[in-house]
Amino acid sequence: MDFSVIGDNLEYLMIGAYPDGPLGGAALTLILSVLSGAAAAVLGLGLGIALVVVQGWTRWVLLAVLGFLRAIPVLMLIFWSYFLLPIVFHVDVPALATVVCALSLIGGAYLAHSVHAGIRSLSDGQWAAARALGMQPWQVLRLIILPQALPIMLPSFLNQWISLIKDTSLAYVIGVGELSFVATQVSNRVMIHPTEIFMFVALVYFVFCSGLDVLANLLARKRGPVKAR
Amino acid sequence: MFGELLGPKYLNWLFDGFLITLGLSVIVCLVATLLGFLVCLARLSSLKLWSWPARGYLALFRNTPLLVQLFFWYFGVTSLLPEAMVVWLNQPHSLTLGSAELNWPSFEFIAAFWGLMLYTSAFIAEEFRAGVASVRSQQREAGLAMGLRPAQVWRYVVLPQALRTALGPLLGQYMNALKNSSLTMAIGLAELSYTSRQVETETFKTFQAFGFATLLYIGTIALIEVAGQLIQQSKRYKQGAA
Repeated sequence: MDFSVIGDNLEYLMIGAYPDGPLGGAALTLILSVLSGAAAAVLGLGLGIALVVVQGWTRWVLLAVLGFLRAIPVLMLIFWSYFLLPIVFHVDVPALATVVCALSLIGGAYLAHSVHAGIRSLSDGQWAAARALGMQPWQVLRLIILPQALPIMLPSFLNQWISLIKDTSLAYVIGVGELSFVATQVSNRVMIHPTEIFMFVALVYFVFCSGLDVLANLLARKRGPVKAR
Repeated sequence: MFGELLGPKYLNWLFDGFLITLGLSVIVCLVATLLGFLVCLARLSSLKLWSWPARGYLALFRNTPLLVQLFFWYFGVTSLLPEAMVVWLNQPHSLTLGSAELNWPSFEFIAAFWGLMLYTSAFIAEEFRAGVASVRSQQREAGLAMGLRPAQVWRYVVLPQALRTALGPLLGQYMNALKNSSLTMAIGLAELSYTSRQVETETFKTFQAFGFATLLYIGTIALIEVAGQLIQQSKRYKQGAA
């Protein structure tokens, strides 16, 4: 074991060729995670609310689309968006946007069901009482339902964000220079220390994922435990 | 855009890839279930000697990407093994059992199996643990009060209930294993995603190649789903639940 290879390539592993070239490495992994995490949360919230509100055949279409997204491997969806997006929009879509698009679709599909379940876990009396007070349905959702349902959903969101951080490594297959891609580059260049390099990369991901977990626990503790209903 | 269908040669490629995906997923699920069960027992053990390594195992394997783990096993560990062993692993071997001849799988397959199996077992262990946690502690106390030994309480009281609760999530993990097997293309295993990419590069029929692969994935996932529904509606399962 010789970890000097990490020290020699640390800057490249962390930020890629930046500032001379495009940003890459762990920094790009973080950016990809934040972008797709935010997009997945918005998408999941929207689709989850749609699952509660929408009735009839549109609901079945929505369920079928969500089922499709949950049934195919993330890798397949990345391939699809890599080849479909340029055809649909008739412009050159950067690989980075492809990955964010695929990851947020998958994350959103999983979160939609958590959001739906979280909203459904509140008793119907909450809806009825708020409606009786003269609120519009949208107001009921925003002022009564979501403030209660969001803390219930928080663990699902966290799990999904952690798995999104891990899934950003799949950007490797279409050549986005994030941490895993940069690691294989370094490993191929130096030829002799793959063990050390991949152990280090695993450690970086581990710090990101468990860091998110610890942060969320701290926040949850600060706000006080969610009251039992 | 859609054009004609794929030639039989390419359909055969895709089908071969699908068989590898299926074979890999099945043995990964079998072995990972056994290992996951053992890890779960270790994690629940009151001895720190057992529970702390299990905690470390779960945290490490669940919080790092599968792709990096596969690279680690495929590229990293190879460089640590003695050279003679690597050469042996990379050469074809066969084992003759009576009239049947078993071919030793490629090194890619072994690395893919090993990496995917360890990753999946960590998630399966947590599903088992959640199942055991769902059995109320009074059940255990009642079992002990009736004069059962601790091992018997586990065997006849806790496990049957825990396994029933864990069945749904366990099938979910099997689906994940099937989907995650697509990542092994990155270390060069010619499974379904790899062959669909290969067909795509050779024929430029993007829609047909990816569409066919996607259909095979969705079909298999749907089959697992149906199997789960059948088990949960079966008489034996319902009797136990009542």
